[in-house]
Amino acid sequence: MNAWTDIMLVVLILTTFWLLGSSRLASCIRICAIQGVATGLLGVVGGGITIRVAAISLAVIVLKGLAFPWLLSRALRESNTSHEVQPFVGYVASLLVGVVILGLSFWADSCLPSLSHVASRLVVPVAFALLIAGLFLIVARKTAVNQVLGYLVMENGIYTFGFGVVREIPALVELGVLMDVFVAVFVMGIAIYRINRTFDHIDSDQLTLLKG
Amino acid sequence: MSIWNFSYAVLGLLLAPLLPGITNRTKAVFAGRHGQPLLQTYYDLAKLLRKGAVYSRTTSWVFRLAPPGGLACLVVALFLVPAGDFAAPLAFPGDLILLAYLLGLMRFMTVCAALDTGSSFEGMGASREVQFSALTEPALILGLAALAYATGSFSLSGIFGGVTRPDWLQVGPALVLVAAALLIVFLAENSRIPVDDPNTHLELTMIHEVMILDYSGPDLAFILYGASLKLWLLGALLVNIFLPLTGRSGPLQIACLVAGMFVVAVVTGVIESVMARLSLLKVPQLLVGAAALSVLGFVLMLRYAL
Amino acid sequence: MISAGWILPALVAAPAILAGLSLLARSPRAALRVGAAATAALALAAGCAVAQVFLHGPLQCAGGWFYLDALSAYHLAILMLVFVLCSCFAIVYFREEIAAGHFTRKLARRYQSLWFGSLAAMNLVLVSNNLGVMWVGVEATTLLSAFLICIHASPQALEAMWKYLLMCSVGVALAFAGILLLAATASTSLSGHDALLWTRLMNPAVTLNPMLVKVAFIFLVVGFGTKAGLAPMHSWLPDAHSQSPSPVSAMFSGILLTTAMYGILRYIPLVERATGNTGWGREVLVALGLLSVLVGAAFVIGQQDVKRLLAYSSVENMGIITLGIGLGGVGVYAALLHTLNNSLCKSVSFCCAGRIGQIYGSLDMRRIKGMLKVSPLWGGGLLAGLMALIGVAPFALFISEFLTVRAAWNQAAYWPMGLLLFGLGLVFIGVLRKAIPMAWEPPESAPKPLRTYRAEALLVWTPLALLLLLGLWIPRPLGAMIAQAAAVLGVTP
Repeated sequence: MNAWTDIMLVVLILTTFWLLGSSRLASCIRICAIQGVATGLLGVVGGGITIRVAAISLAVIVLKGLAFPWLLSRALRESNTSHEVQPFVGYVASLLVGVVILGLSFWADSCLPSLSHVASRLVVPVAFALLIAGLFLIVARKTAVNQVLGYLVMENGIYTFGFGVVREIPALVELGVLMDVFVAVFVMGIAIYRINRTFDHIDSDQLTLLKG
Repeated sequence: MSIWNFSYAVLGLLLAPLLPGITNRTKAVFAGRHGQPLLQTYYDLAKLLRKGAVYSRTTSWVFRLAPPGGLACLVVALFLVPAGDFAAPLAFPGDLILLAYLLGLMRFMTVCAALDTGSSFEGMGASREVQFSALTEPALILGLAALAYATGSFSLSGIFGGVTRPDWLQVGPALVLVAAALLIVFLAENSRIPVDDPNTHLELTMIHEVMILDYSGPDLAFILYGASLKLWLLGALLVNIFLPLTGRSGPLQIACLVAGMFVVAVVTGVIESVMARLSLLKVPQLLVGAAALSVLGFVLMLRYAL
Repeated sequence: MISAGWILPALVAAPAILAGLSLLARSPRAALRVGAAATAALALAAGCAVAQVFLHGPLQCAGGWFYLDALSAYHLAILMLVFVLCSCFAIVYFREEIAAGHFTRKLARRYQSLWFGSLAAMNLVLVSNNLGVMWVGVEATTLLSAFLICIHASPQALEAMWKYLLMCSVGVALAFAGILLLAATASTSLSGHDALLWTRLMNPAVTLNPMLVKVAFIFLVVGFGTKAGLAPMHSWLPDAHSQSPSPVSAMFSGILLTTAMYGILRYIPLVERATGNTGWGREVLVALGLLSVLVGAAFVIGQQDVKRLLAYSSVENMGIITLGIGLGGVGVYAALLHTLNNSLCKSVSFCCAGRIGQIYGSLDMRRIKGMLKVSPLWGGGLLAGLMALIGVAPFALFISEFLTVRAAWNQAAYWPMGLLLFGLGLVFIGVLRKAIPMAWEPPESAPKPLRTYRAEALLVWTPLALLLLLGLWIPRPLGAMIAQAAAVLGVTP
């Protein structure tokens, strides 16, 4: 049981590295979908499946594995932007940053007092790593789609953290959070569409009309 | 020290040229061809050894030193690799570093020789070789370090003898990561797809092949034989991780390991058949990715050990 | 008491229903008018709840998931005040646009629906006892208000909206990590369903690990601080405020920031208790507050756009509030009073600035000249608002800023005090330099003043008169309200 949780966590980290190193937007979206599914499975493989856990995991898998990728690929298809990631920080450098982030999160975890409810020793550092790597992706990539992906990675990190550390969050809260994330990505998708229609591209680094 | 300790290395010396043959046959099957004979490398070696060598007038002793020097490095390295339970003949604590440096020394000699020819093509190949090896080495060392940490031994023999079935159950994810990193190192060090294409002769895309363009006769034979030995050497590390054979009888272990080597050769053929060569700019990404896998594996091992 | 508690979910549900009904509005004018009337009615209902809280103690409902105590009731009162003001102003602001056909029925329906949606989300933040639900409210506020910025889809507005959406979503997501950490440390002594209820967490029997609470608080301050416009996470704020329609800017500045700030305030008593009242959490706030004051002041100096100027002034004022809370003692009273003052003053200023912008066709302060002559009502209102903002003496902001300085003096925090005074001085000079030519220099070309009705004067002068009044005399009920709210934050009179 624990081993499966560990494997899912490793999948989360590997997909994050993969995302840091990939250059095609379409494959980035696919990787993010894989990560979303792995996040969803985390709840199921942890053992002790209740209806609540199953429902939430299913919702996560459907949303992050199917709905978001579909939404984002549609935004990507309809935009006449280049389908390359266009990083501020190169892929190799990003991967190295990813390694540093991973090391830092393990270090940070060792500094914190251990949490009694943790399902696996890896949960907290992996969640931190996803959180920071997501932030890094948002900062280091130019296209709006990729920034949304960064946001999703971050969100996955937070979800992982929540599932591994506080198993008992009321379902209402959890569904509310999920709902918010869904709406967030939805709204971002519409925003990308509109930005694309107005600017002819979705590179957020060229959104420089407002300064000072 | 029994005969089994030596057997694997000796078998390696004998059977290594078979591996490229198996790989090529696999590729041929995938492509629907008959392909060359399995023993083609042996024939090539025999042919080359009978011929004389031609040296360019611009080259010096550096150029002539590289093939035998490189081969010597690989033979020594081969005797550092354990077989299952059986420690390697030359095993000592810290030999994993010697292994890495023997590979490095060999590369150093090849690169120097390539530069010695004064040809711009070979210089380019040398530059690429150095660039990529600078990225594979961390992956290899960190991967080995992760295994060393997990098994508490600082010698290759202790490390690979220490990987047991319970380990797979306990630290499985970490082992898979390290093995994946070592697989990428294996492909990169042996100039295989997706890093380099051993069959191509387009100078602009080659890495390893371009460095040895000026060799002929016995020198080329040494280099070819060395390449097979390197395949065996790094393949043996992979096989040793994947086949935790502790406690079985000697012949069975050796037989399994040799069979494992052949499987590795087949897997290499499959990878070469289904994948395209990466563009040169993307190779560093792959290699850094391998290093990242190693780091992740290392970190996981640390975490499990706590 | 239990029966009165049912008003809390109603305060969330009613605007949510109104948001749906707005989609059926017949004409843009009707949408705005009915919207303003409905907001006023809601304000009356909320007022009853607030009065109930201050007279009889906290309200709660639905097994403790909804909870209204003095702190949230105080914020609720400000919220409804600002919303009524801005809803009424929206009728005025969009009048010319409706006449010109720019503000179509479709836009009006969307605008009014999102407007009520934002109101519902903010009410949810204020009335929920469950920290998770509160987070859901804050995030929902971001999402619902994002499209309010770009009701008129110009490239600038879209850019502002993207920045707002991304930065606030990311920030608020970080805050959720903080909430989870808090829940994790609390779940050692609380069962799962209670681990996020604020009232349960406040129970002194609950042990919280100080180290984890500190980490959680950092996440929370960064997260909600982004939404509250604290430096250095403020960069979305001037863009969003300057590009959105003025009623929306007024609402953003008046209450959206304050609601996020309220999110931080909720955690202060928890952190103080977990860290053994060492004042660690307050020190963080002091540092962040000072930084915001200085950054806001520095950017006020060079501004050419009047709404951006007001936006940076918002950064500065949120900094003053944070600083006041951080200083503790009198500072908390000052901060709470400042919250009210800032909300009132900012809404009026943004409304007037928007109107002036419509008259001159530009928000560039180099082109706005002689506004007192061109439009005595809106020009006068903007000038008075700016004067109040920089803390000219009889206005209430002077009192709250003065009290903040005194709190620093009481605490012997001389460095923060000096920096605060320096920041206030900078803002004073920076705004005055811009305001005087705007008010009195002869206009280059005489823009056609818009038609003004007498009722509009009420909209401008009532809040300003209120500010003036509060500067001279704080009525006893208000004083008692602030004292009760401060007591929630652990400050006893």
